[in-house]
Amino acid sequence: MSNALPATTQAEHQALPKTTHDEFARQEFVRSYKQYLVKNVHGGNQLAYEQRVKPKFRQENNRDPKDRFEVRDEMVNDPHYQMFSALLRTSQEMMWSSCQIPVQRELESLNKKLNKKRAKPRGSLRMDSSLEIPRYHKSVDIHCQPGGYHTEFSDQDASAGMVYDRAVHIYAMGQMGPYNNDIGASIALWLQETRPEFKPLRILDLGCSVGHSTVPYVDAFPKAEIHGIDVAAPMLRYAHARAEGLGKKIHFSQQNAEILDFEDESFDLVVSHILLHETSDKAIRKIAKECHRLLKKGGIMVHAETPQYKGMAPFDAFMLDWDTRNNNEPFWARSHEIDLMKLSKQAGFDPKKEFETMIPSAFQIAEAKRSLTFQGGDFGGGGFWFIYGNEK
Amino acid sequence: MAKLQRKAKGERPTFFQDPNVDKILSMVMGLAGEVAVLHDRLDTAERLLEKSTDIKRSDIENYKASAKVTAERAQWREQFLSEVLRIVEIEQEALANGDTQDYGDAIALVDGSSRE
Repeated sequence: MSNALPATTQAEHQALPKTTHDEFARQEFVRSYKQYLVKNVHGGNQLAYEQRVKPKFRQENNRDPKDRFEVRDEMVNDPHYQMFSALLRTSQEMMWSSCQIPVQRELESLNKKLNKKRAKPRGSLRMDSSLEIPRYHKSVDIHCQPGGYHTEFSDQDASAGMVYDRAVHIYAMGQMGPYNNDIGASIALWLQETRPEFKPLRILDLGCSVGHSTVPYVDAFPKAEIHGIDVAAPMLRYAHARAEGLGKKIHFSQQNAEILDFEDESFDLVVSHILLHETSDKAIRKIAKECHRLLKKGGIMVHAETPQYKGMAPFDAFMLDWDTRNNNEPFWARSHEIDLMKLSKQAGFDPKKEFETMIPSAFQIAEAKRSLTFQGGDFGGGGFWFIYGNEK
Repeated sequence: MAKLQRKAKGERPTFFQDPNVDKILSMVMGLAGEVAVLHDRLDTAERLLEKSTDIKRSDIENYKASAKVTAERAQWREQFLSEVLRIVEIEQEALANGDTQDYGDAIALVDGSSRE
């Protein structure tokens, strides 16, 4: 029997913070806890809805709840939903805490190591300390990461990235692969399979955070020059160190996806991975416009998100909406109801070339035996990703 | 040394009528997590002791779990969580099995007196 660790184990790499025996055990507990909720508690919400909540609603109103708002008004009083939600929120907080502990323990030396000047870097890091962090990013710390992506706790701080890289793996329960790269890898694979003639030479990843979704494009399109941008300095410092440690050439720069400093028509492919729902109504329109400006003719923009609520049963939309109120994702609900065709059109794209589709997870294809599990309002693990985009 | 921020900015939602119940639930799960940490540490010590009775703390720190041990621990945690959260499973089992009859019905069935 092979002694290789399962594919759901995170790969060690140079930038990833080391854990003590007990720190690792604590993180492993959170992963199991999240898996347990998916497997054994999440399904109870549907049972409670069908057997308790809906019959009572019918009795009082002579009809079923018509939308996710009516479902919510009733479900928030259901004891199982309350328990599920309290457990899920707690698992999220324990996840961040367990990932902060090893980073806090060695914060100064880890930062020093990550910021160490490299003799021959493959890629680059361009920072802009004057960049204003958008208000929508600062109002609450997204998905409950303390300090969000942007807060710096010490000089040249990269702690947000160190915490995030580990937490993403726990959050996705390993189902985004040993390098958390599944979203980018899935888009790259989808492009290769559906457009074998498309050979992008310049690629931009918007809101790249630690570059976990950016890296797979380096492997898929080895001739391309690859850029990643984010507003958050601590994420970018880590992203750069991470990519260099993995031997991947990526050019990172600190920029806001709403106003980029790249030239018009200078990219063949512009992508983002679960970025749009972290922005705002105003910002999302500006971002789409920037994508249009930056793309060459024949270029493609692709944004990965969780599926739109449109056409979903009210209960399913209600469950997928859990994060809006309970996981610091204020734009989640609205972003899932935006008319994407209209978004493309106002940005200047030809609506005939717009696409919205579900694509299979590259990791799932590689790991046919993995379990297919949804966490409840969440990405990661359905075996499919929703993508939206437009050709120019 | 610089301190990381520990609380995520943003109002924390509560789910139960009494917000202290939310807090107690988090404490219970926090404790469960620490029990799991202790379990893994003991498991490591036992596995090392099976090979040699002369072990140091550093041996525990440097221990690398094999795929087999990793899988066994994951299975232990699943069982452990199932025990800790048994009460949550009970409610779902009742719903799934249609075991939702009012207990008073069972009393009425056997009570031959005319009391209410």
